[in-house]
Amino acid sequence: MKKISRRDLFKVSASFGVGAVSAFALSPFLGLVEISEAKSSKRSKISPFNFAVIGDAHLYEMPNHRFDETLKRAIDDVIRMRPKPDFVLFIGDLANFGKKVELEKGKRMLDRLKDNGIPYFIIPGEHDWYLDLGQTWKEMFGKPYWSFDHKGVHFIGMNSILVEDYWTARNMSPWERMLAIAELECHICGLWGVGEEQLEWLEKDVKNLPPDTPIVIFTHSPLWDYYPRWNFQTKDAPEIRKILSKFEKVIAIHGHVHQVVYNKTGNMVHIGNLATAWPWPYPPVELPYPEIKMLRVDPGDIYDGVGWANTYIDETFLGLFEYKTWAELIPPELKKGVPL
Amino acid sequence: MRVVKFFVMGSLILSVSANFSLSKPPFTEEDLKLMHEELINLVKKGDELFHSPKLGTNGLTCANCHPDAAFTNPDTFPKFQPNVGEVATLRDMINWCIKIPLKGKMLAHDSEEMKALEAYIYYMYRGRTLKPGDNTAPVPPVKVDSGPGYP
Ligand SMILES: [Fe+2]
Ligand SMILES: [Fe+2]
Repeated sequence: MKKISRRDLFKVSASFGVGAVSAFALSPFLGLVEISEAKSSKRSKISPFNFAVIGDAHLYEMPNHRFDETLKRAIDDVIRMRPKPDFVLFIGDLANFGKKVELEKGKRMLDRLKDNGIPYFIIPGEHDWYLDLGQTWKEMFGKPYWSFDHKGVHFIGMNSILVEDYWTARNMSPWERMLAIAELECHICGLWGVGEEQLEWLEKDVKNLPPDTPIVIFTHSPLWDYYPRWNFQTKDAPEIRKILSKFEKVIAIHGHVHQVVYNKTGNMVHIGNLATAWPWPYPPVELPYPEIKMLRVDPGDIYDGVGWANTYIDETFLGLFEYKTWAELIPPELKKGVPL
Repeated sequence: MRVVKFFVMGSLILSVSANFSLSKPPFTEEDLKLMHEELINLVKKGDELFHSPKLGTNGLTCANCHPDAAFTNPDTFPKFQPNVGEVATLRDMINWCIKIPLKGKMLAHDSEEMKALEAYIYYMYRGRTLKPGDNTAPVPPVKVDSGPGYP
């Protein structure tokens, strides 16, 4: 993979208006940046790079569906990026009802990235999972949790959408089980999380990493309690945060909320990715950072309220999460990216 | 429906003959309970429709974009709706959503389905202040902790 120098990174950012560094300096969230900066490692050996995040495509079986168009547009955008992103992370909910045809359609579309020299990693969302409890997804994409190292950063992906059995006692068919959890406000599904097996795995995975290792973790749902009613949470997030608390700084990226949202907990910064399918409204709770919010959406425009993200990581492990949209969705002060 | 009408009419006739100054006595607990049950039945029907792809043709439901009826903002109608191009009622907006994002057939304004959808949406915003014409910051529906959001 091509190494991107700080100068290159500067050039890329500059083409969006202002250079990355001056964007930080001008940012209204200066306090936040300073804290991240203070916590970022001096000793790490990161070669700056960027990766793209796409997710919540919610593909339906029928051909030429509007959600095919929006996912395709995101993938086309990524393929056209110069310099190319080092990889793409697909952050869950590729299918809408976990059907084989939906997942196959999604895989065909994502494989275009590979064909264009961009590898992708993927984690599941609840919409991919509950028709056959992940069987097809695993056959197609392999293990639903993993880690890898890239240019000095340790990347972790986890399957955060595991609920307790709500179907057996109710005698539900696989289809009924899927339909129930396909509703965001499912009131029989309960809270989801990663579960014991993955917690043990995570503990082992990071055991020998020194505290100054830059960590990026991907989960479908947020690793903080946002709005449990819509599963805008991960049940065992406190345990995950505890395991990761030894690190100087952790960047956590999640999907599922289909909206612009940001939070900080301890040593972690959290950011929500947009869907390519449709936006969710903000839930009836206070946002922890109300200034990091998307604008009003025109419901008549299938390209409004949706998008994907480009993430820059610099050599001090400062991130810049740039929401990429096709309509006026991002407030001007966030257009240059949200500092992570 | 019929049961309630009977009760209401019954109380009406009684009240007229019994007391002139207080033309109608308050509804009894029983009356109120029955009327509320009728409403909740309609809300339930609306909830089902709201979560059903049968209103459209592309698999989408109202709930795709409006979990717990969020962002339907019944408290702000009627209001000028830019995508409709005129002052719209909640029923106009329901029909717009059926026609455009769901690619379905619009409902008759006085149809049982329309009434049910309206009942569900209003009920999820119970207690909210009416602000006809308000196109500024939308108010969220009631906060639901568990269950469907109504008794
Ligand atoms: Fe989703
Ligand atoms: Fe999801």
